Amino acid sequence: MTVFSCADDFSAMMTCIYEAWSSRLGHDNVKLVREPIHQLELFTDYVHVEADSEKTESVVRSINQKISKGAYMWTFYASLSHEEDALDTIYRFLVLGFRYGACICQMLQNPVVMRMMELRRNVGNEAHLFVEFSRFTSINNGIYVSHIEPKNNCLISVANHFADRMISEYWIIMDDNRNLAAVHLPNEEFYIRNLTEDEATQLKMTEQFRDGFVAMWEEYFNTIAIKQRVNPVCQRNHFPEWMRKHAVEFLQSK
Amino acid sequence: MNEIITSAISESTMDKLHILADSAKYDVACTSSGVDRKGQEGMLGNAKGCGICHSFGADGRCISLLKILMTNHCEYDCKYCINRKSNDIPRATFEPDELCQLVVEFYKRNYIEGLFLSSGVLKSPTYTMERMCEVLLMLRTKYRFNGYIHVKTIPGAGDDLLAVAGYLADRMSVNMELPTVESLKKLAPNKSFETILNPMSKIQSTISEHRLAIGKSSRMERAKGNRLLENSIFNQSRLEKKPDYYAGEEGLFIESNSIGEGIKLPTVSPRLILPGKEAVLSKADKLNRAFAPAGQSTQMIIGASDENDFNLIQTTQQLYQTYDLKRVFYSAYIPINEDSGLPSLDTPLPLLREHRLYQADFLMRYYGFRANELLSEEMPNFHTEIDPKCEWAIRHLEQFPVEVEKASYEILLRIPGIGPKSAMRIVNSRRYGHLSFESLKKMGVVLKRAHFFITCGGKQMYKTPIEQKYIFKQITSFEYKDNWKISHSNENYRQMNLFDDFGLSV
Ligand code: SF4
Repeated sequence: MTVFSCADDFSAMMTCIYEAWSSRLGHDNVKLVREPIHQLELFTDYVHVEADSEKTESVVRSINQKISKGAYMWTFYASLSHEEDALDTIYRFLVLGFRYGACICQMLQNPVVMRMMELRRNVGNEAHLFVEFSRFTSINNGIYVSHIEPKNNCLISVANHFADRMISEYWIIMDDNRNLAAVHLPNEEFYIRNLTEDEATQLKMTEQFRDGFVAMWEEYFNTIAIKQRVNPVCQRNHFPEWMRKHAVEFLQSK
Repeated sequence: MNEIITSAISESTMDKLHILADSAKYDVACTSSGVDRKGQEGMLGNAKGCGICHSFGADGRCISLLKILMTNHCEYDCKYCINRKSNDIPRATFEPDELCQLVVEFYKRNYIEGLFLSSGVLKSPTYTMERMCEVLLMLRTKYRFNGYIHVKTIPGAGDDLLAVAGYLADRMSVNMELPTVESLKKLAPNKSFETILNPMSKIQSTISEHRLAIGKSSRMERAKGNRLLENSIFNQSRLEKKPDYYAGEEGLFIESNSIGEGIKLPTVSPRLILPGKEAVLSKADKLNRAFAPAGQSTQMIIGASDENDFNLIQTTQQLYQTYDLKRVFYSAYIPINEDSGLPSLDTPLPLLREHRLYQADFLMRYYGFRANELLSEEMPNFHTEIDPKCEWAIRHLEQFPVEVEKASYEILLRIPGIGPKSAMRIVNSRRYGHLSFESLKKMGVVLKRAHFFITCGGKQMYKTPIEQKYIFKQITSFEYKDNWKISHSNENYRQMNLFDDFGLSV
């Protein structure tokens, strides 16, 4: 068995797929993982792969042309997944995809395809949760900062939404766990940036900032519930506890 | 957004917010769905067809919009309403700028998707609607707000104001509140069916005219699956025939579909209707907007009057068919006023009934069921123990078991435990190979419910009899807990909380 490993970013993963494929070791004899590798195994060769833009492009082109645009979207979303098996699943999915073509995304009775669908669905669902529940704090009169802690690496997907929603505003969305930030200037495309420790610490402080609108939102939130219908179980099912860490309305001292 | 906008937020804003949110909370609709609109440079906001929730209140209801009244002063005296003239409560009115700034600042913090503006009747319906339009116009121009707006129209306001509101808002609603002429007379003496259905009908004609003008079909989009459903209430060929079922239904608004039918609202420019507002419009009069692109909705109160579930879902179906409403909402009646014509103050909220009605509404909008398949004169109310779809299936056991590898989409949707998504997955995937119970489960089929009614590759999952009493008993045994929770969720929440917090299971 040969294990191909790479960093947790899209280009590295596509290059890793390229290398594993062209090694001609046979699909059953290779395994793909993202680093760090948690448990090393005996009788296994380890190959580390670095991102390469040409190889990435060639993989992306093949998926789009020989399988489908849909399959490419699945691949992209699945690559953002935090699940251990994501990269290897993508590889198995592409093996099948190159064999069956565009219909692969419908062959849900195949366990690999089903797993692939679960992976990208989880990423999509989580991104949607942050589109709904992330909150921005206004600092310096007009810069809006939000903090999220997603399980999957879905910052891009969340930022995409806000790029359209707040197209002419200054805003930053920070992934507190990965120290990544999506930065947006009015009427420009946002970019993703790796934050230095210093920047990260500074940005994290923005959340302590409160202005009059925070208090008014809390007031609204408390008032709009009908007390004869109070139902915390239902509330929790819709707005899970772990999501509440950055939602101001749940941080009020009762 | 360069022009300096002075703050209209003052110390009293917080109090107004409290009073006017408190009086608005009984309206159920808070959805921001039905229209896709991209962001635009220089503007704030967009709209997503699926709608976006931003929080969930202590009552578990979604908070998507700033749901608020412009004023809670009211000239009318609807019996069930907290704002009625005869109630002695604190009253307040927003300044247009004040309200706009709240919307915009909340929006930028991602608290809300937009505004749901409603109002009590201040001076007269026309005066009120004028003020509301002023707020909307300001929001769209001075504040360049491109997010979602839902406006509730005031029964009795002039047509030109309705038209203006429609050009500024995404969704409009005219609340039915009560499904029959009789209960409306009794409980909302200042309103009449005419003042409700007339605007509803005009809004519908205007929407459809606008849709045709931009090359869409005259009727609102419905869930895609409906196209595969011969029986769907939205099926065009059926819509052309006059609805067949309500002859003899006294009190139901039988004759009403002639009111105002086909009459459109006047074509107006907001500038003409709101004289003196030119200053506001000077810079950004790009009000080239579609007319209420997210359609219209309505709400009915459940349990304040004597209608049965059959009346309610027939009315619902008719509202979808005749007025092409996008949504019909139900709101369990909450006794807040003491009145001889109303249920007493200690009446429990009909939460389970409300839940059943929503289930039925979904069955009509997504599953191709019709009102008269779900209930009838002989069986006018939904079962408390079992949901409407299971109930229907148990009454039609002769159609089961269904072989999932062969059945059409339409038939699959009739199986309890299978929804539009899983049905579509089944239809798409089975072309490429056999299905198994395992793969059905992964596709989202709830086997706990479905297994009584299906075979897969010729086999049942367990060898169970296809027999009414048996299946009913099995299903009610596990549904019991859910139903109990729904009807008691509000009273016993502390206990349930305890169970949850300590990981105990009931
Ligand atoms: S018109 Fe009737 S329902 Fe509306 S606010 Fe006034 S009293 Fe309430």
